[in-house]
Amino acid sequence: MIRVENISKIYGSMKAVDNVSFHIGRGEIVGLLGPNGAGKTTIMKILTGYHYPTSGNAVLNGYSIYDDPLKVKESTGYLPEMAPLYDDLTVSEYLDFMADIRKVPKNEKKQRIEKVIEECGLSPVVYRGIGKLSKGYRQRTGLAQAIVHSPEILILDEPTTGLDPNQIIEIRKLICDIGKEKTVILSTHILQEVEAVCNRILILNRGHIVAEGTPDKIREDVVEDDMYTVEIAGDVNVDSMAALRSVKSIVSVDRTDGKTVVHMSVEKRSDAGSEIFDWAVSSGCRLSAIIPEKTSLEDIFRKLTNQGVM
Amino acid sequence: MNVKGLMKKELKAYFNSPMAYLVVLFFVLCLNIFFFFFGQFFAHDNANMRGYFQIVPVLFILILPAISMRSWAEERKLRTDELLFTLPLSEFEIVMGKFLSGVFLLVLMILLTLPVPIMLNMFGNFERGQIIGEYMGTFLLGMAGLSVGQFISSRTSNQISAYIFSVIILIFITFIGDITMIINVPPVVGNIFSYLSLSTHFESFEKGIFDTRDFAYFAIIISLFIYLNIKVIKLKK
Repeated sequence: MIRVENISKIYGSMKAVDNVSFHIGRGEIVGLLGPNGAGKTTIMKILTGYHYPTSGNAVLNGYSIYDDPLKVKESTGYLPEMAPLYDDLTVSEYLDFMADIRKVPKNEKKQRIEKVIEECGLSPVVYRGIGKLSKGYRQRTGLAQAIVHSPEILILDEPTTGLDPNQIIEIRKLICDIGKEKTVILSTHILQEVEAVCNRILILNRGHIVAEGTPDKIREDVVEDDMYTVEIAGDVNVDSMAALRSVKSIVSVDRTDGKTVVHMSVEKRSDAGSEIFDWAVSSGCRLSAIIPEKTSLEDIFRKLTNQGVM
Repeated sequence: MNVKGLMKKELKAYFNSPMAYLVVLFFVLCLNIFFFFFGQFFAHDNANMRGYFQIVPVLFILILPAISMRSWAEERKLRTDELLFTLPLSEFEIVMGKFLSGVFLLVLMILLTLPVPIMLNMFGNFERGQIIGEYMGTFLLGMAGLSVGQFISSRTSNQISAYIFSVIILIFITFIGDITMIINVPPVVGNIFSYLSLSTHFESFEKGIFDTRDFAYFAIIISLFIYLNIKVIKLKK
């Protein structure tokens, strides 16, 4: 549905996007992740036809952004970072306008507008001027605008900013529902959001894609060592600690409330759990827990974007 | 045509704020006050509406920028320009939608002045052709002013500077022909200035003269600024 081929975008002397290619199929929800200035918004602006790339091509829904810009725009719905709203219009006038421009057939228009009003929880403010709405309602009106014509491709730039936790969950659910049949590409800073919503992630840094795939796959590619937390009741004597150290590398040891908590990193895919267990038995320690720690997406994100991996 | 949807939105935005009402009211009131009160129409006892549109060029300099100033500056302030350019509309459609909604307001203003000539017609034998010429000239002058104002709005970041710039530019191109009254210029230059000036061409309509050259002049001015406006938004991509 979305095919991006070697896109670059140069603003003045700054290379915002550098030779990026990716492919997104129907029924996929793909998250664009990256620090500020990584090129997420630029990529979205190119996909929506707001900017032309300096080089490269993108094909959306079978239409090239160069040859059929209007067709591309017809098949996409877009919510920019700042919800684009006309303060002088009411919510219903605004949605009516968007439905007209997006060429929603006349006989379906009323029904479509009512549906998005319900989906986005806008019914209390339908006849209110947009200028008087709260941040949450503004954001939801912006989202309603993007989906009023049930587009094949939905492009969302940080869709849940300014929403309260309940609304965030509702909107995520809505995005998941849409993603079942349509193609969704969204950018976000909130990493939990990516895990909650996206099937696939693209991590960008300085205009390059530095990692791509499902969260689990990226974790596998990036993480070299598994982390374990071992809890032992009572103290551990120096000899047994040394024995443990010879097997694994210990990151930190805490002794609190008559408990010893050892954090250790273990080579990936080794049979670490049972090794630790064997060690505990042989050194006579009373093991109370062995917890394999999943490296969080935050850590992966930091790792990928801090060192400027090329 | 999709221009209609955009016009609908523009007009709703105009009429949801007090601006449109104020502009229309100001125009109609000023025109009539100047004609009947300061112009002493009844004291002249003359079946001639020549003076009715005399102050139109000045009035337009003040009010047309008030209509056009918001067209782009407001979009930029609300960040809706980004939305507009990602909608299935061509640049031409967007610019025309905005321009035509301004023209709609202009037509409304002009229509609201119609009762005066219609009523006066009962009191004497007015020259129809001249009145029609005046209306024609006013309409063309208004469209030219709007196209200039809309172009300037696309180059400025807020409404106030759009308004001020438009007023200055409109003063300049309206009265450049009268510059010969202030400073001495060679007659050739004076003629060129006079030809370029909006008011020269407006005045010939006001006299009831329909000259294709004047039509051509207005057509060129209007399409030039609409073209420039389209260029400006295309370059921003």
